[in-house]
Amino acid sequence: MSDSGIETILVVEDERQIREAVVTALECEGFAVCEAATAGHAAVQAASRLPHLVILDLGLPDRDGVDFIRDYRTWSAVPILVLSARSEEESKVEALDAGADDYLTKPFGVAELLARVRALLRRRPTELQGAAPKIEFGDYAIDCVNRVVTRAGVPIHLTQIEYRLLVYMAANPGRVLTHRHLLAQVWGGQAVENHQYLRVYVGHLRQKIEDTPTQPRFILTEIGVGYRFES
Amino acid sequence: MKRPSAAMQQLIYGIFIRIFIASQPMNLLPKPVYSPAMAGHLWAVLVISSGSLLLSPARAFLDLSNVALLYVLAVVIIAVRFGRSPAIAAALFGSLSFAYVFVPPHFSLAITETQYLLSAVIMLVVAILVGHLTSRLKQHADFASRKTGESAELYGFAQALAGALTRDEVIQSASRFLEASVQAQDIRVITPSEMDQELDPLTKPALVRQCAEKKMFISSPTRDGHSYAYVLLNAASGTQGVLRFKTALAGVSSDAAVEYIETAASVLAVALERSHFAEIARATEIKHAAESLRSSVLSALSHDLRTPLTALVGMVDTVVLGKVSPERQKTVLEAIRNQALSISRQMTNLLEMARLSAGKLELKTAWQPVDEVLGATLQQVRAQWKDREITVDVSAELPPINIDAVLIERVLWNLIENAIKYAPADTPIEIAARQLAGDVELSICDSGPGIPAEAIDKIFDLFQRGRVESDVPGIGLGLSIAKTIVEAHGGNITARNRFGGGSCFRIRLPVGTPPDFDEMELPV
Repeated sequence: MSDSGIETILVVEDERQIREAVVTALECEGFAVCEAATAGHAAVQAASRLPHLVILDLGLPDRDGVDFIRDYRTWSAVPILVLSARSEEESKVEALDAGADDYLTKPFGVAELLARVRALLRRRPTELQGAAPKIEFGDYAIDCVNRVVTRAGVPIHLTQIEYRLLVYMAANPGRVLTHRHLLAQVWGGQAVENHQYLRVYVGHLRQKIEDTPTQPRFILTEIGVGYRFES
Repeated sequence: MKRPSAAMQQLIYGIFIRIFIASQPMNLLPKPVYSPAMAGHLWAVLVISSGSLLLSPARAFLDLSNVALLYVLAVVIIAVRFGRSPAIAAALFGSLSFAYVFVPPHFSLAITETQYLLSAVIMLVVAILVGHLTSRLKQHADFASRKTGESAELYGFAQALAGALTRDEVIQSASRFLEASVQAQDIRVITPSEMDQELDPLTKPALVRQCAEKKMFISSPTRDGHSYAYVLLNAASGTQGVLRFKTALAGVSSDAAVEYIETAASVLAVALERSHFAEIARATEIKHAAESLRSSVLSALSHDLRTPLTALVGMVDTVVLGKVSPERQKTVLEAIRNQALSISRQMTNLLEMARLSAGKLELKTAWQPVDEVLGATLQQVRAQWKDREITVDVSAELPPINIDAVLIERVLWNLIENAIKYAPADTPIEIAARQLAGDVELSICDSGPGIPAEAIDKIFDLFQRGRVESDVPGIGLGLSIAKTIVEAHGGNITARNRFGGGSCFRIRLPVGTPPDFDEMELPV
């Protein structure tokens, strides 16, 4: 655990081959790994081992993975990385809405898996400190106290909504933010179904901060899911 | 002579009045709502009385028999124009007028001579006979012309049904016909399987069953002067159901009207039967297509996937033997990884195609900017092919389009992947998006070998590959998936070779009418 400096990861996957491949990859990277093949076992492991990250397959034999996430989120804020098959487009969004932090579509490469794992583990302490008053990415800086966004020192004009959207995304780098989630955060709960709002404002925001808006560097689109901010 | 003649007159009049009354119910034809019978009788009285008055000054010059013939002529005209009952009225009134005006003594009903009485009676009998025969002829002629009209209507109906392919179209077409011809409302065809169920409050299951079992026309009157009609739909292969509709009571009150409805019902039954068989044929066709797809999938699996798998096993075995140098081992392992990923992509395509062709493709559309979808696709392409040169030219101010982004991303990915696979690694892939009239056009062009001329027409077909023997892995699904998806969006996809080498794939998606985005600004 964190005392020894080694981070523990719980891998919940019912298919043995995939579980072994993931576990091997993680162990080679020096993580402590515990495994579970069912949601029931995973709940026990999560409570007893208190992992720093959960890697969860959505198609579990005993329970829906999304239900597991909802239960887990009632008592833990530990990041969850979801593994999903291509056909599970909807359950993927559902899992993210339920509180999962990121997802990987099978088949995935080990490099990709490790990159996501590291990103999620890295993000953890900043969240514990609360949102930083100053967020930086690329040559941009957001002064959250004075509500000013600058690029290499030059202020950029953003509308209220654009500002809120940018700050929320920039404060959650690397995390997949679903359409619903962003709408609820930026516009409020009543707007969660109006995905066009979001697309229009993300478009505006990209025009203002991306060098080539069609090939964005910061605000990446996760088709059918939402957006991911890369700082 | 006077008294018996008066008594005789009474007797004759009595007999004719009885005939007149008895003739009424013999009329089988449905009476139109506005009955011209009254008008006919009025005309009869008017024609006879005015004629009598006009001719009366000339009575001295006219022979009595000629006058009688004129009366008969009037009766014939009235019979032709108004039918039997006014004709008989005209005959009766005519003979009275004849006796009153022309038979001496003038302007008296008294007939002094037997000869005069005889001519009055003969005139009456002749007038009635001629009137009766004429009106019957007219009736037949009317009947025939009405039948012709009905036949023409039924013919039109049958023709409309011939154009209807599905059961719903047949029923729609029948509804239109019944609404127009018998002012039917609440039209419904109850299928044999629905007969035992409670359908809707308008339908009485007992009547439906009675209609089906006794094979008869049933009408049940409603309080508002209408009637619910139940007609059996019987065709060669058996009962197709029961037709139920509501119509005015008069529409089902005569045998002729019922016969007409039953004829229409039998035409409808045959059309329903045909649509049923057509549906079976279509289902068989789909099944057949599914079977041919399955065999194509099997051949794809056996050849196109087994080959790379064999290579994969071979490469792994080489590594397992442990006789490969470490550097070489790394190359082999990378090759294994690429091979496995390529198999995985082909599996994805196979599954995707199976899903797309399994039935109706349900699009989860939303209005979104094209460049967002394109950007997301490129993001993934770059993750896989970091160094490939890709130029992107998206015109500014492209309108948003209503698309299923996940599926359109598959299309773009398939096309870009194809371009990257087939064109030499040092040539750029050119991607462009622009608006062309009511469409947004996306093009993906490469400078590769192009598509062989003989394959260009079939390139979007299932399991068709531009180059049959090619070292580029694939099973010929990517483009047909792209085509299926684009067409489901109401767009089209085309392929052509570029002048100077290479190929270009163009997708056109309709722009439609996007919602007004300005209205969506919320108070901050």
